[in-house]
This record gives sequence, C-alpha cells and structure tokens, in this order.
Amino acid sequence: MTRFVRHGAGGVRLAVGVALGALTSTAELVFLLLTGPVLLVRRTPPHFVTAAARRLVRIERTRLTALLGAGENGEAGDRRVLAYLAVRWPVGLLGGGVLFLLLYGAVTTVAVLAGWLYGGRPDGIAPTWPILVYLFAAATVLLFLDLAGLAAVAAFERGLVRRFLGPDERALMRARIAELSASRAGIVAAVDAERRRIERDLHDGLQQRLVALGMLLGRARRNESRDLLRQAHEESRRALEELRDIAWRVYPAALDDLGLRDALATVAERCAVPVRVHCDLPDRPIKQVETAAYFTVREAVTNAAKHSGATLIDVSILRRGTLVIVMITDDGAGGADPGGGGLSGLARRVAALDGRFRVSSPAGGPTVVTAELPCA
Amino acid sequence: MRVILAEDSTLLREGLVRLLAEEGHEVIAATADAEALLTAVAADPPDVAVVDVRMPPTHTDEGLRAALDIRRRHPGVGVLVLSQYVEKRYATDLLSTHSRGVGYLLKDRVAQVQEFLDALERVGSGGAAFDPEVVRQLLARTTHVDPLNDLTARERDVLAEMAQGHTNLAIAGRLHVSRSAVEKHINAIFDKLRLPRDGGYSRRVLAVLRYLGS
Repeated sequence: MTRFVRHGAGGVRLAVGVALGALTSTAELVFLLLTGPVLLVRRTPPHFVTAAARRLVRIERTRLTALLGAGENGEAGDRRVLAYLAVRWPVGLLGGGVLFLLLYGAVTTVAVLAGWLYGGRPDGIAPTWPILVYLFAAATVLLFLDLAGLAAVAAFERGLVRRFLGPDERALMRARIAELSASRAGIVAAVDAERRRIERDLHDGLQQRLVALGMLLGRARRNESRDLLRQAHEESRRALEELRDIAWRVYPAALDDLGLRDALATVAERCAVPVRVHCDLPDRPIKQVETAAYFTVREAVTNAAKHSGATLIDVSILRRGTLVIVMITDDGAGGADPGGGGLSGLARRVAALDGRFRVSSPAGGPTVVTAELPCA
Repeated sequence: MRVILAEDSTLLREGLVRLLAEEGHEVIAATADAEALLTAVAADPPDVAVVDVRMPPTHTDEGLRAALDIRRRHPGVGVLVLSQYVEKRYATDLLSTHSRGVGYLLKDRVAQVQEFLDALERVGSGGAAFDPEVVRQLLARTTHVDPLNDLTARERDVLAEMAQGHTNLAIAGRLHVSRSAVEKHINAIFDKLRLPRDGGYSRRVLAVLRYLGS
C-alpha cells in the first residue's frame, strides 16, 4: 500500500515537473527569440543576456532536482548555458504536448462514461459489451503510452542537464590527470627524502659508532688496556642497538607479521610522551593502506613528541564504510607546519593512495592530524 | 703536535681527543661545526686541523670549504680532511690550490689508528696524506691514452705508495725493496709521466695526483 502511495506521489511529482517544464520552455523560447538577434551579431554574448540565461538555468535546475530527480551540479560556461537553453525548449514543449494528451484522454474517458451513466449516447454509440471491451483496451494502451512518454521526457531532461550543465567529462579527466601527476611526483620526492634520511641514519649513527669502536680497539691494542677493551665491547653492543633501530625505522617487520595494532604498540612504547592507541578495524586492510596508516601515525607521533610539548597523544584508527580513518590528536601547543618535512611527506603518501590528509593545528593546540585512506 | 679538531659527532670527537692525547699530541680545541673551527684556528693556529667534511648546518661539504679557507688564510696550518665517501672532486679541490700540508682520508680510516696517526704526522710536517682508497680510485681511471698504461705493475705499486704521501724510505720498507730500487722506479715513473724532477716528495705526489685528477 505504502509503495503504491509512494509511486503515486512520484508520478504526480513527475507530472508537475513536466508541466512546469512546459511553462519554462515557453519563457525560454521567448527569451531566445528576443536575444537571438543579439547573439547572432555579437560573438561573445553580452552580460545581461548571460545573466538572464543563468537565471533561467537556475530555475531549471531547481525544477529538475526537486521534481525530476536530476543530481549533477557542475559549473557551466556561458556558451554551454545558452546551448542548453536552445536545445532544451523543444523538449519542454514536447512534455507539454504529452501532458495535454493525458488530460485530453482523461476528459474524454470521463465524458463518455458520464454520458452512458446518464443514459445518453455520446457520439451515437451504445454501451454494448464489445464496444466497452474495445474502448477499455484502447484507453489502457493510450494511457500506458502517455505515461511512458512522460517518463521519457523526464529522462531526456535529465540527460540534457547532465550533458550541458553537468561536470564536463574532459575537464574531469584533465583534473584527474593533473592530480595523478602531482601525486606521482610527490611519491617520488617522498621516496627520495626517505632514502636521504636512511643514508643519514646510517652515517650519523651507525658509522660513527663503528669508527669509534675501531678507534677504541686500536687504542686498546696500543696501550694493552683492559679498560679500553671493555669500553669497546660496550660500544659494539651500542652499535648493534643502533643497527636494530635503523632497520626498524626503515620498515618494522612486525607490521607484516603481526599487523597494525602490534606495530603501533611498539611506536607507543618508544615514544617519550604517553600514547593511547585505539585501533578498531574489523579486518586487516590492504597492505598499502596498512603501511600508510602506520607511517602516518609514527610520523605524527614523532612530530608531536618532538615539537609540541604534548603530555598525551591519542591515536585512533577506525573503519568507516570503505575508508580507514587515522586520527592523531595531541594536547600540545599547536602551530604545526603542514609544509614541514615530515608532514608534507605524509600528505604525499596519502595523496598517492587517493586519500585525504588534513592537519589542524591552531596556536595553543590541540593538533589533529587526520588521514582518510580509501580501502575498497 | 698541536691539533684542532672539527667533528660533529660527540662520540668520535671525544674518541679522537683521547687518542691524540694518549699519543702525546696537544689538542688545542675540539669543535662541532665549521664556524667554531675557523674561529679557533684564527685565535691560535695549530700545526694541523683535522676536519670532518659533513658538518652542521647542512651536512654537505661545510668541512671541506672550511679546510680550503684555512689553507688560504693560514698557509702554515696543515689540514687533514675526513670524508664519509671518496669524492674525487674534494681531493682535487684540495690539491688544485695547495701543494703542501694537505691530507684526505676516509673517515673509516680513523679506526686504523696507526695509519691515521701516520697521516696526521705527515700533514703536520708539511707533507701529504691520501687515503689508499682515494688513490686507488684516482688510479683506476684508465683510458686508452692514459700514460699510466705504460707503467709496469711494480711502478704502479710505487706510484700508489708515493701518492699516499710516503717517503722513499717508507716505500722501500713497505714494498720490501731497497731504497735505491725505489728511487729508480720513481725516476722511471717521472720519465713516463713526463713530470719535472725537482721538489720534495709531497710536490711530486701532488703533481702525480693533480695529473690523475685533472
């Protein structure tokens, strides 16, 4: 029953939409007839013409979205707006014609039935069974054709609006290509930065330790000193720790074996500031997303611990539809620079996965770093 | 010897200070960046400045530029440059402007304590010291017109030793031949490389290196 009502309401909305469309198309026809000569003379349409055209188009859009279920809303140029009006008005008039036929059929049916009920003979035809059956069948077919016509007009209107006023497919593609080029260049830059960082890590950390170790051993041999030997032994342990540390910074093996939650637990343990991790994922996301989420958290946590003076860092990771949402909040001083090395690298990493990356860090805090990673 | 150090890693700086003190050298100053190094050298010129190439702020070649600066302003101060990698350009930069009291070692060489101390002595007394690895790479440039191709294997050995800054006597010891044999080899090398026969060993070394690095 409710479905029937809903369909009925939809039908009425459609009919009203088409009726209004017939009215507006008359207005558009008048407009085009008045401005046609101007448009023919001037290559670029004058402002008052385009303004009026846009107003008409706004009315059309409102009608289409409210009554005929069109959805697209793109930004159209002057030429496309005028072209739309020029192509659209006949469709509006066609809709008017279809509606007229519907009304005409309804009036005729009512008139004939009323005539028979009051004992008259409309057009000199008596209501015999064969006649009744014949007329009923014809009326049903005509009604069906008419309703189909209404639906077709509405579909036609929707198609025109998409074609002329919707987002231009080529513009969309161009934008997408630009976006892809940018994110590709970004990821290359991010990889290079990462490599530089690893090289620096190796040299400034590990190599120094090994050279110092060699030096200690050299001195120990020259002086035959047990104490220097002991120091060298200590130093070798530290060099190993350094190596483990660098390897972990390059890529934490736990991320592959144990997943995000365990890898992040290590990040929390290693951080000087308390970190609360809330990881609520129904299943393991694809590897790229997992890695991106992990590095986003680690970089943001490192940043917060280093620069913000935070006393608590909150990390939350959850699934919303096809998105994995990573959010790092700290109660520090704010003023984080999204263009800084670490954060811009993260932004590039997230962009390469078609995700969204936002940093909100007003002076006085709190700083919130959010990454939305599509995971379809 | 009186030494000034410039090395940004605290660990290594401390190690070097201790090592040099144990060997009886006097460390006047130990700095962590190029600016402090130049200030310290200007205040009290040492015999040798030991300089790390990579130092703050940019960690590129501050140390090398400071070393060249010191050579220009204080010709009496020897500079021994420590580098993470063998960079031919650094070696040739050092060589192209100065012919005495320069050294270029791989940082790792510091772990070979004896070799490091020898190099320091040579640079401090106006000689030269080049890392065997630097020399090896410079000698590795063989083209079809390379006059080095004319050298015998023995002459190449001698040239490599010489390029590192060793004296004839030291080369004789290292290659287990007599000193006169070494001198004969060197003369042969100079003839083949068409180098003038004058000056001290360091000038000859530098001439060879400059020739190779040009």
